Amino acid sequence: MIRISQNQSVRDLVSNTMENKRRVSEYSNQLTSGVRVSKPSESVDAGAISRYQQQIAKIDSYSGVIAQAKSYLDFQDQIVSQANDIMVRAKEIAQQGANETLEQTSRAQLAQEIFQIRDQMASLANSSYQGKYVYGGANDDTPPVNQLSYTEPASGDANKRYSFDTDPAGSVAKSIRLTDEISVSLSTKADTLFGTSLEALERLSRALAGYATTPASGTPDGGGAAYTFPTDFHTQTDDIRACIDQIDTARNNDLIPERVSIGGRLRRIETGQALLDLSKNSAKEVLSRLQDADETEAASNLQQAQTALQASYTVTAKVLRLTILDYI
Amino acid sequence: MTNFGAKILGNSTSAMTAQQALLANASNNIANVNTPGYTRRDISIQTQLDPAVVDGYLSIGSGVKLGDIQRLTNAFLESSTRTALSKQGKADAKSDYLSRIENLFAFTGPQNTIGSAMNEFFSSVNQLSLNPSSLDQRLNVLQRGQDLVSSITATYNDIARAQDELNSRLPQEIESINKYTEEIAHLNGVISTRETVGLTAADERDHRDTILAQLAGKVSFTTLESPNGMINCTLDNGFPLVNQSTARALKVTTTPSFAPPAGLPNSLSGGVLSYVVYDYGTANAPMDLDLTKVLKNGQGSLGGILQVRGYADPSNTSPFQADGELVGLAARVEMVARQLLTGVNQVYRGSDEAPLVAGTQGSSGDLNGNTPGVFGLFDFNYSGAKDADGDGLATGGDLSASGIGVFSRVLKLGFSSPDEFAAALDTNQLSGLTSFSSGDGRNAQALADLRSSKFTFSVDSNSFQGTFDELYNSIVSTVGTLSSAAKVEADVAKASYQAAVSKRDEFSAVSLDEEFANVIKYQKAFQASARMIKTAGELLDTIVSLI
Repeated sequence: MIRISQNQSVRDLVSNTMENKRRVSEYSNQLTSGVRVSKPSESVDAGAISRYQQQIAKIDSYSGVIAQAKSYLDFQDQIVSQANDIMVRAKEIAQQGANETLEQTSRAQLAQEIFQIRDQMASLANSSYQGKYVYGGANDDTPPVNQLSYTEPASGDANKRYSFDTDPAGSVAKSIRLTDEISVSLSTKADTLFGTSLEALERLSRALAGYATTPASGTPDGGGAAYTFPTDFHTQTDDIRACIDQIDTARNNDLIPERVSIGGRLRRIETGQALLDLSKNSAKEVLSRLQDADETEAASNLQQAQTALQASYTVTAKVLRLTILDYI
Repeated sequence: MTNFGAKILGNSTSAMTAQQALLANASNNIANVNTPGYTRRDISIQTQLDPAVVDGYLSIGSGVKLGDIQRLTNAFLESSTRTALSKQGKADAKSDYLSRIENLFAFTGPQNTIGSAMNEFFSSVNQLSLNPSSLDQRLNVLQRGQDLVSSITATYNDIARAQDELNSRLPQEIESINKYTEEIAHLNGVISTRETVGLTAADERDHRDTILAQLAGKVSFTTLESPNGMINCTLDNGFPLVNQSTARALKVTTTPSFAPPAGLPNSLSGGVLSYVVYDYGTANAPMDLDLTKVLKNGQGSLGGILQVRGYADPSNTSPFQADGELVGLAARVEMVARQLLTGVNQVYRGSDEAPLVAGTQGSSGDLNGNTPGVFGLFDFNYSGAKDADGDGLATGGDLSASGIGVFSRVLKLGFSSPDEFAAALDTNQLSGLTSFSSGDGRNAQALADLRSSKFTFSVDSNSFQGTFDELYNSIVSTVGTLSSAAKVEADVAKASYQAAVSKRDEFSAVSLDEEFANVIKYQKAFQASARMIKTAGELLDTIVSLI
């Protein structure tokens, strides 16, 4: 015979009610917080959740750097594009100046514009981004291009000479990581990019203004005397012609390839970003599946638990009210 | 002629007495319906044997007689309730502490966990590698570095605090165990004395069962009832806690007479862990019998506390600390701290990978042109000379020092101002000069790359191969598994306790329905007997009227 004692029925009723109440609170917590697993013991996938969280944190860290790198490269693209444009203008002027029908005085007038172009090129090489010299390498607090002077003339625009900073830190390239393995370089050394252009502009401006530049090829050393006219008129023409070739070399070998390279690097970064986004999305998706509450499921569970709790209240109240004393 | 009238009166009187006794017993059962541990009582009644055949040829019987009072109890149900209680005690104790520890590794919330601090730190270093001279990025690295260091020390200290708390709960637990065993022994004596002279000891037995159940929540034991009614309680290794009417008091000590060969086990906070012993010597010459291991392997809250707290076998000669869940977790936190001090510091000092001997120049540098010291990035508080080469010159200050918690308790950041973070590498190495540029983030990049580097983490005889992330994940999944296993264990134990106690109550507890049905039955029987007396009186009246 099954005996049901008072203690037994009260204990069972209370413990079932408690269990139902616990469930209601569990599912309503899930619904209000949106999270199903907030502590390691709440899921067998605790290790995996932690791993995906790390992966997302890592991707976020890369993405933050990539966004900065992108605007940095966009800025460089504008600089190189400007440099290229002014070199085209310089070449037009040089071609005009190489024409021997032009008087020596007219050539000196043309020199004025080239001086401007030369200074602009130097300031492009000294461009700064967020207060740091873009082409300074690791040495980004000092300008990569400095101003020196020629012995002849003693003053004036033709006296200006530009030279590149020789600190070895200048050749330390900046780079960012796209993933653990792939990194992309963000900077080019100033003399590699602007060396030939500046040299050509310097020579051209001096030639038009009436001064030779030594040595005949390579980096100017600050020497070079004034032409004697009319004896040196042809030499001046030849020097101007040589500058036209050098302008072409600078554009073809330095400026245009740099633009192509920047475009290539930007594309790589964008691809890298897209890949990171992709893997972040998939990591987030998995993480959400592992950790987040399924709202539909939680809601229907909550509904179920509420019904059960109501039932236990009703039953408890009914059963506890029943007593044999009412019948005897 | 036999006087049947007197017979009727006698039988009815005995019946009325018996029914009253039964009613009184029912009232006692009803009164104790809510008394914990009360076992319902039943009075057996039987026919009164005729002392002699008085009427010569007809034996009618002499009414009803009260038998013994019985406690309706079942030794098996009682002992299975106790077993379930012991299991629940252990699982609850474990689950309580492990779920607290688990919060140190939570996935959500404002907690500064080691994992999130690690993410933030490496991320800040990676950001810095692009703008190495930016002061706000440097401040960020400093802040994140401090967060990382404090998350490690805080996590370690919280684990150590939990262990200390468990250790300090031992004396309280042992005190209540001693109180229970003493009471059981005392009740054993009372029950045996009363029952040998034929008195009932039902209330004492109820009381004893209640205390046995309370004791079972603390520690697991087996019981055996002797013929004299005494119950002996024996630990799993055969040590008798209660033997007849004597109880053996246990003792918590940090100075046991059996000095462990490797010294007393250290606690995670640097103190010592205590032993639970039985002292069978005298006050001047204690002779301690170590019961810690058997109690740890046993059930009950004491078993749970000892298992989580950890226990070192006295016969173990290695200097390693106690085993146990907390120690395992703390060891891995210590591994993180040690790797930061060795592997990470070494990379931070420069890529020349010069041997880490104090005084040699690394090739990384900060904004002020200084090269970092051996403990330039991560450092630890120690008053004496610090050394990283592991040659054992400075004990405690040398990274070869053994022991969990030696470094994670005192870990700190090796630099205190943002400009002291060495993000640059030497740019002038070829020329033999050393110079650093503010815009050089190569060292920061190398440091950020460590996140994906594999290390061999180790402390004492434990080791782990993998990345920082992998080590942290293993801690998370271990703590998750331990805590969820303890929760499941606790749920199962609770369910089996409920089943057991339900079975026990089904048999032994008071049912008001049953009692009131009986009350009516007894009442009717009483009325019937009273009626019989009236009938006997009428019989006598009839006879008298004839005269």
